[in-house]
Amino acid sequence: MGQNPSQATQAPKKSPLSEKKKEALSAYLYVSPFFILFAIFGLFPILFSFYLGFQKWNGLGEMEFVGLQNFKWVLTDPLFWKSLYNTLIMWVLGTLPQLLVGIVLAYALNSTLIKAKSFFRVSIFMPYVTSTVAVAIVFGIMFNDQDYGLFNILLGLFGIDPMSWSTSEWGLKVAISTMVFWRWIGYNTIIYLAGLQAIPNELYEAAQIDGATIRQKIQYITIPMLRPIIILTVFTSTIGALQLFTEPLIYIGRTFREEGITVVLYLYREAFVNLAFGPASASAIVLFFIILILSGINVLVANRIGR
Amino acid sequence: MSQTSQKNNVLIGKTFIYVLLGAASFLSIFPLYWMFVMATNHNSAINSIPPAMLPGNQLVTNFTNVLNTIDFFGAMWNSLVVSTVITIGVLFFCSLAGFAFAKFQFKGKNFLFVFILVTMMIPPQLGLIPQYFIITKLDWLNDLKAIIIPGLIDAFGIFWMRQYISSNVPDELVEAARIDGCSNFRIYWNIAVPVIIPAFATLAIIKFMYVWNDFLWPLVVLREESSQTIQVALRGLIDAYVRDNGMILSGTFWATVPLIVVFLLLNKMFIASLTEGAVK
Amino acid sequence: MKRWLVGFAALLLTLALVACGGGDGAEGNKDSGTGEGEQINLDFWVFGSTGYDKLIEEYQEANPNVTITLNEGEMEDMHNNLFTSISAGSGAPDIAMVEVSQIAKFMQAKDRFQNLNDYGAEEVADNFLDWKWQQAQSVDGSFQLGLPTDIGPTTMFYRTDVIEAAGLPTDPEGLAAEIDSWDAYYEAAKKIKDTTGKPIADSPELVFNAIRDQQPQQYFNEDNELIIEDTVKGAYDFTTKMVKEGLVGQNPLWTPEWGSAMGDGSYATMPGAPAWMIGVVKGNAPDAGGNWSLTTIPEGAGNWGGSFLTIPESDYPQEAFDFISWLTAPEQQLKSFNDMGLFPSAPAVFEAEEFLNTTDEYFSGAPTAKIFAEAAQTVTPVYMGINYAMVNNELVTALTNVAVEGADPQAEWDAAVERIEQQLERQ
Repeated sequence: MGQNPSQATQAPKKSPLSEKKKEALSAYLYVSPFFILFAIFGLFPILFSFYLGFQKWNGLGEMEFVGLQNFKWVLTDPLFWKSLYNTLIMWVLGTLPQLLVGIVLAYALNSTLIKAKSFFRVSIFMPYVTSTVAVAIVFGIMFNDQDYGLFNILLGLFGIDPMSWSTSEWGLKVAISTMVFWRWIGYNTIIYLAGLQAIPNELYEAAQIDGATIRQKIQYITIPMLRPIIILTVFTSTIGALQLFTEPLIYIGRTFREEGITVVLYLYREAFVNLAFGPASASAIVLFFIILILSGINVLVANRIGR
Repeated sequence: MSQTSQKNNVLIGKTFIYVLLGAASFLSIFPLYWMFVMATNHNSAINSIPPAMLPGNQLVTNFTNVLNTIDFFGAMWNSLVVSTVITIGVLFFCSLAGFAFAKFQFKGKNFLFVFILVTMMIPPQLGLIPQYFIITKLDWLNDLKAIIIPGLIDAFGIFWMRQYISSNVPDELVEAARIDGCSNFRIYWNIAVPVIIPAFATLAIIKFMYVWNDFLWPLVVLREESSQTIQVALRGLIDAYVRDNGMILSGTFWATVPLIVVFLLLNKMFIASLTEGAVK
Repeated sequence: MKRWLVGFAALLLTLALVACGGGDGAEGNKDSGTGEGEQINLDFWVFGSTGYDKLIEEYQEANPNVTITLNEGEMEDMHNNLFTSISAGSGAPDIAMVEVSQIAKFMQAKDRFQNLNDYGAEEVADNFLDWKWQQAQSVDGSFQLGLPTDIGPTTMFYRTDVIEAAGLPTDPEGLAAEIDSWDAYYEAAKKIKDTTGKPIADSPELVFNAIRDQQPQQYFNEDNELIIEDTVKGAYDFTTKMVKEGLVGQNPLWTPEWGSAMGDGSYATMPGAPAWMIGVVKGNAPDAGGNWSLTTIPEGAGNWGGSFLTIPESDYPQEAFDFISWLTAPEQQLKSFNDMGLFPSAPAVFEAEEFLNTTDEYFSGAPTAKIFAEAAQTVTPVYMGINYAMVNNELVTALTNVAVEGADPQAEWDAAVERIEQQLERQ
């Protein structure tokens, strides 16, 4: 990095170092901080994880090469598949709805029809400033298994028997998904809103003059203009959902109950509770490829939206 | 379409939007309100049947208990330092990199960009031990640097900035500036930055919150009380044996309030920057 | 062109400055010279409420060249941080408190700890209960990982109001005579259920733990073979039978509802409660004084919990050892007991008249120290093994499924065994 600036300062006056070269040099300089920091703090841990995937190691003693044994263990472990299943279900319950509801809320917040926008905007974004730890504690109390838990009282209003949220198959998934949804909905709304507000008003005005309906405006202006933002949220929320960790850790970190265990929680438990760093790394690698594939599919699908 | 039916449509739309936003606001605020309720009640009121729904009179007692247990203000200060420095650094580095990816042509551009995206897909939890190892080698244990410097790596921020810049900074503008003889940094600073202020506000909020709320990594590298961030300090309130929810939620609630204030301020700036854009 | 360079440099500089500014405080106390009469700094990690800060002050007054930095953390977090440090090979403190269920895990990495025998541990060995001493010792006895702090001999806590309503004797000796076996406990449970409608205990885990902790062998034998089928299956069957008959409630340990139930008298006994549970009960039910008492547990005491002090990495191992051997000496253990209720692991303390006369008004004036001391004498050492926590977690899951979800006990047991074997296989 030391020499780039000097070259750049030499370059200015009518040097035949073409504009193109200069542009490329600046570009490399601008992206270099990420890669330099990543090389120091990111690369080694990742390479280490990949290496560990083929080793037997308890974190304390000597490592021992075991080939593909760890992968075999992970892929034949019903709990791994269960954790993957849980993760996907919670993605469907907690993350996907955020994207739809987020767009609707952002659209409503961007509407010119209403007043007190500031109030609505602030309140909807408020959950996002709450720490995950606080969310897990507050919702943990709301999802209390006892009859006096808030959600059980709510169920009672509809004549449904109280549920044991923290131990049942769907109770745990619903509880964790609710935490995720509540905390992150404001985040997605804020991103969509930023996208919506970047759409020039003239476009809508022009459409208005041409007599376009609201539906047409959404279809032909809003969605195409939002496309980069939609791709971004779909991509990041998919990754976020597949790496779901903090909420289940705080909610069931003591029991690691299989009804609520996610893939990352599974590998965390393998590593730091069971001291099986090999299988833990192997499952991290498997998860990495799953994310890679699902992100690819997602982006392909999202690319079609609004085309 | 007659005037009246259009008016009716508007009215229906209006009502619908108000109901929608009203419900969303209520659901968003209620858990926070309840957190406040619990922060002002005695532990026994929280666990009783039915649970407390109105603020109690334990506000001072609960918070005094928090202050007696952890260094609340010191930890808040550490969090503020860490979050602010990372946020400013990330805004600068990510917008610069995002600008380069969006508007410059250079060899390996696509490869480097995809590489950045792929780094987001690796579950970071397993890297704890090797990352910790690096921090000890640098002798940064119990030092805020251990959070700040790695925190400047932000693949999402680059991605976000690139998406925003490529759709909101017109290529023609960049070209025109270049013909006028503007340097590349000038183009970034004078042309791109003013346009992407809303993206800055958004990324700032996202990054600030992310750093503020992170606890797994700070828990590993900040062991001394004097260096701890607020999330690590709040862990100290949660005693597995005797759970005083009133005290725990008092700590978490008062740690959240400054964020709400910061957000309100940013929200103003956010709107201001938008209206400014609209006037042009 | 130059402006951006300046900007870039300025930002980097600011970052560096701010970052360094944050670190000053932390670095200050790390470096210490190596001259004569030097100032010695010892980092000391503990978890929970130990009350050691007062004792440290006392020690520092007597040894002005020693400064001890106490760092209190949450139990799980502290052990995780110690593990990370040991694994990465640096960052561990001079002295670390390790809980008994974690000691086998760190014994595996004993080459990264100081062997306390090198600093005179053998000379103080006689201060401590034999079984406690052995828990922190390598199998051949040559390596001593830690010095004992407190122990957790188990007794039975009970609600005097519920016991009285059921027509059972409310004084410790009378109740111990009435409930002198687990069969008698079962009979008493039925009687309590019939007369008051309340369960005898609210947490299946406590009943299970109580019987488990009485077994000389529990989850693993010394060859690290899983032996739960022969050792704790009986405890599991007994517990699930009582659960199925509605004699034991369903609160999982450490949940808020478990904590609040301590104050409302919704059950009769808390079997297998160790000394440190006193603080838990008082903390969760500060207003229930006089409603609780405690007595001997049927069929002999076990041990639940208790800790050790280890020296992971230190430039001053001898000084660190001198400090911990002082801290765990009988006089200091007595102070810890009086201060925070940490039950001493030094028999010399229990023999003291003054100690044995300790009563507790919260526990209806019961001679608490005497009851715990008697329990402590009957405990036999148990080999826990490195996977104790994992096995325990799976068994608790099985118990919860039976209690909360109404699942079939045998099917849950089999499922738990399968999960345990699956996890053991890959280590």
